[in-house]
Formats: sequence, structure tokens, C-alpha cells
Amino acid sequence: MWSFSNIAGSIQNWLNQTFSPTWSLVMQMIIAGIAVISLFAVLGLILVLMERKVSAWMQIRLGPNRVGPKGILQTFADTLKLLVKEGLTPAGADKLLFNLAPVLALVVGMLLMAPIAFAKDFQLWNLNIGVLYVSAVSSIMVISILMAGWASNNKYSLMGAMRSGAQIVSYELSAGLSILTIVVLCGSLNIPDIIYSQADGWWIFKGHIPAIISFVIFIIAVTAETNRAPFDLAEAESELTAGFHTEYSGMKFALFFLAEYVNVFIVCAIGATLFLGGWMPFHIGQWQSFNHVMDYIPSSIWFFGKTFFLIFLIMWFRWTFPRLRIDQLLNLEWKYLLPISMINLLLVTVIAILGWHF
Amino acid sequence: MFIVKYIKNIFKGVKSLLVGMRRTGYYFTHHKEIITQQYPDNKETLNLPERFKGEVVLIHDENNEHACTGCTACELACPNATIKIVTKFDITAEGKKKKALDKFVYHLELCTMCNLCIIACPTDAIKMDQTFEHSVFDRKELTKILNKPGSKIRDGVE
Amino acid sequence: MTGATIIFYLLAALTIVSGLLAVTTRMIFRAAIYLLFCLIGIAGIYFWLQYQFIAAVQIVVYVGGIVVLIIFSIFLTQQAGEKLPKQNLGRQLFSVLAVFCGLALALVQLAQYEFVITDGKPVEPTVANIGKQMLGVDNGGYALPFEIVSILLLAALVGCIVIALKSNTETA
Repeated sequence: MWSFSNIAGSIQNWLNQTFSPTWSLVMQMIIAGIAVISLFAVLGLILVLMERKVSAWMQIRLGPNRVGPKGILQTFADTLKLLVKEGLTPAGADKLLFNLAPVLALVVGMLLMAPIAFAKDFQLWNLNIGVLYVSAVSSIMVISILMAGWASNNKYSLMGAMRSGAQIVSYELSAGLSILTIVVLCGSLNIPDIIYSQADGWWIFKGHIPAIISFVIFIIAVTAETNRAPFDLAEAESELTAGFHTEYSGMKFALFFLAEYVNVFIVCAIGATLFLGGWMPFHIGQWQSFNHVMDYIPSSIWFFGKTFFLIFLIMWFRWTFPRLRIDQLLNLEWKYLLPISMINLLLVTVIAILGWHF
Repeated sequence: MFIVKYIKNIFKGVKSLLVGMRRTGYYFTHHKEIITQQYPDNKETLNLPERFKGEVVLIHDENNEHACTGCTACELACPNATIKIVTKFDITAEGKKKKALDKFVYHLELCTMCNLCIIACPTDAIKMDQTFEHSVFDRKELTKILNKPGSKIRDGVE
Repeated sequence: MTGATIIFYLLAALTIVSGLLAVTTRMIFRAAIYLLFCLIGIAGIYFWLQYQFIAAVQIVVYVGGIVVLIIFSIFLTQQAGEKLPKQNLGRQLFSVLAVFCGLALALVQLAQYEFVITDGKPVEPTVANIGKQMLGVDNGGYALPFEIVSILLLAALVGCIVIALKSNTETA
């Protein structure tokens, strides 16, 4: 049976046999780059369409249904339009930083793709501190937003960027703490290790109520970190026109848009890895026959299924809840999420030390 | 006590969020309730809501008669000068001069469909129609004269 | 020249060029951004050395913390968008001299140090190892500095709260 890891392995073998080690490394880098870029493009197309359909159905509308069968080609048409549109740079803008910001946003997204395990033993870069790496690199994202807001030389952009910065810096804390609960439970930062530790059940089921609490906090915090409604103060359309990307148009705007959706995918993939077992099929303890049946579904389908379930959850939030005010936003983080996640971390540590988890 | 209130707050918040999510989740799973009308495709069966207002029309009956006395109540009621009534003087059978409608000028491009003119009209001569396909190539065409040529006031309407 | 060497030189060039630009640019926000790239370059070199934990900490602390703090303080200053005035010649000369003194000192140190190639394997940055290194009480552990830093940060936090508190006694 073919799988992602087999394909990757055979390509690597062929490259190593055919070329010298340096050239084989270069070829592997190019292949990985092309794969990540095409994944980006596909994700952008799918997620934008999904968002529009989900929002439409939640608001008793139909959503895009004209271009192609059931409207599935709508995002292709939109992308084409954005590609041929003129990318303006405002006269008063800092031209270098203005053009650098969307590229930085996308590069950060690419870097974050590296440690994610898409299928069984299929990963671009298996590094020992995978989870820490993700939370570290994702903090560069805020700088691209701050850069875009500053370089636009526009008060709306600057205010959006400031809000976004304050928001991301504060919500990183509770996201980090809720990631830590799982790290405490399985004792590793390595993503394959975390996934293999869930072979007899996912952490959200094994970790009792504290795991569920930290899952909820994680989802709230990453929704805030990706600047999505109800935490979309950074681009609050009704107050700031479009926040930090007010001045962007054409392809540069598309890059920001793409980076937003890629970030949503990445945080959901991390959430799925930590709490829902990544590519690990649904296993219950030692029920061997049940586990074997579940194993017949390929691991990549499990991974993408869980990730898209979380993405749907975040979209559900977006189209249900009203936007928070800035003081409510900070109240929620500093008075509720942070104390709760700290106490929760303490509880999880007790559970892990006493071995009470399943 | 502070801590009890704090925990109560959390549960209240979570509960209210869940109520909202249940509503949107219900809509998401019940596609039959979709209220969107696919307009150009369903021109024949288009079903406009009762209170939809498209434009002001002057009601003419089959004898090309209307009920407008030219009293300019609608013109006075209009908040943004959409209606301009031009009056003339008719000679009645008794040889008296009588004020009558000459031109009912209606600027559709200024109208906000507020319905105040309809309420103001003492003889119910005008009403809101439901036509809405108003796009034209020249905005002069949006200035309409609502009384049909040769029309006159219905007998008995004062 | 192997691929690894090329990557090292690319990272080193990124670090040095952006470091130079950070001190020579006359726009303060750009200086912060160049500093960011300089720090990312250093993190890249740590990754290249396979010190993954140090690299991630470098990014968390410097990029996610300090550069964001610098950028925020730039945002809050007046006239931050304008070019800074050109420094006079004496200051420029003095700073160039200081830079060369520092460079000479570093080069002398590098020339005198005998680099020993070790074949010992690097410590795997697993959670257990990180914990032992940072909080160990035996030789090589950092329990005492860790605790002292914690107390310092706690004192700083309490101080912030005290400063930010509204004093009710004056109004009452």
C-alpha cells in the first residue's frame, strides 16, 4: 500500500543514488519548496471557498454558486483577478518595508509548515523541539503585521497594527500554557513523539477535564492569534476600514490574505496534533480489533479530517460571535484565560506526576 | 463572594456562547430554510415581500383618470424634494377656475422610498409600486412625469 | 565547498549586512527591522549548529519579545517616521574608532583561542534534558540563577502594579 512516507522515501533514495549529496540536498529543498508552495495555493483556494460557503449557510444564504459547478471555481476567479490587479504602493509609504511585509508574512507561514506531520512518518523536518519551534516562529508573524501597519503611513493601518500587536503578544501566553499542558502529559516537545503517545487514545480523552479545558483555551487563544473574528480588532472593517492591510492591493493583499488562511491551517494542525492525535487514527485503549478497523483509514485522511474539523470550529466562531472591544479582549486574556490556564497547568502536572491519566 | 461570582461569570459566558453557536449550527445544518432568491433566474416566480417599495406611481383607472387634486401635500411631505407638482387652472362647467394637476414630476434618483408622500396624500392618489429594475443609461430618464398624457382628475374627488 | 558551508556563509552575510544596516540607517523603524533580521540570522546559525533549543529561545526572547517591545516604543514616540539628523563628523569618527577597537579585540581573542574539534555528541534537547540543565542543582545546573531571576521578575511585576495603582488616599 502506498503512503506519503513511502513516496518521500523512494524519491529521496532515487535522488541520493543519482546525484552527489550536495545536489541531492538542493533537489530535495527545491521539491519541498514546490510542495509547500503548491500546498499553500491549494489551501488558500479551498479555505476561502469553505469560509464563504460556511458563512453563507450559517446566515441562511447560498454563498458563491455561479462560477463552475456549485460555485467551486469562484476562488480561482478571485485569485486570477487579484493576480492581474495593480499592486499600488502609496506615495508616503516606506517602500522597502511596505513591499517586504507581505513576503515576510508568507515566509513565516512556510517556516511553520516544516515540523507539521501530515501523515504517518511524513514530515519536512523532524526537529526535537517541534512544538517550541512552532510557537517561537509564529511570534515573527506579529512583526510582519506591525511592519505593514507602519509602512503604510496611514492612521487606520497603524492603529490596526498596534491592536494586533497587543493582542498577539498577550494571547501567546495562554496559547503557550495550554500547549505546555500536553507537553507535561507526554513529556516531549517532539511532534512524532507526541503523536505516538496518543496511540491508545487522544489526549483530549486521556487527560480528563483539564485537557478539555486547555483545548478550549487553546482554540480561543489561537483564534485571537490569527486575528480572526471575534478577535479581529486588527482589521475591524467597521472601525478601521481594513486595519493593517488598508493600503494593500492586488497580489500583495492576496499574500496577506493567503498568510491569514495558512496560519489558520497551521494552528489547527498543531491543535489537532496536540489534542486530537495528529494522523493517529481513533484508538480506544487496548481494543485491538476496533483499532485495526480504524487503521484502514489512511493517516493523511485522519490528519486532514481533524484539521479541517478544527478549522470549521474556528469558522463557526467567526460567523456566530460579535467582535470584542479592546478592553473586553484584554480582560478576557488577563483576568480569565491566563489564571485559568495556570491553575489548569498545575492540575495537569499533578495528574502527570501521579499517573492518573489513562 | 468574589470567587463564586468569577466562576459564575465563566459559566454564564460559556452558556451564552453555546446558545449562539447552537443557533448558527442549526442554520448550517438546515439548508432548506435558505431565504436567498436567485434573482435573474426566477424573474417569473419572483416573490417580493409585501412591504418592499420600488417607486412612487400615480394610480390611473381604465378611463385614464386619477385622483390627484394637485394639493401638493406630498411635495411638502417629501424630505428631499423628490416630488414637484406643477398645477394649472381648469375651467369647470360652471365657468369657475379650478386648480388641477398639470405635471406630477417625480425624481426617482432622489427618492429614498420613505413612504411619507403616500401617507400625506389625502385622496390616496399615489402608491408605492414594487418594480425595482430601474437602471438606465442616462440619469435624465430617472426624472419621470407620473400623470399619463391626457389624463384628468376623476369626477367627485375633491 | 559543501552545501552546509554555503548555508553558513549566507546566514553570516545576512547577519552582518543587516547588523551594519541597523546602525547606519537614519530611519529608526527600519533600524528595528534590520535588527530583527540580524537576530533571525543568528538564530539561523544556531539552527545550522543544531542547537535547536537555543535557536528557538533566541527567536522567542529576542524576536518575539525584545524587537516587538522596541517597535512598540517606536510607535509611541513622536515624529518616528522622519529621518534622523545626520550626526556630526566628530561623533561619526569616534563611533567608527570604537567599532574598530571592538573588532580588533574580538579578532585578537579569536586568534589566541585554540579551537578544539570535539567529537562528543550534542546534548539532545529533550524536555528532560532541558529541565535538568535549567533547574538542576548539581554541577552544570542553573537552579540558583533561575530562582534569582524569578524573584527579580516578580519584584518588577509587583513594582509595576504598585506604580499603576490609583492611590485612593489622596482623593478620599
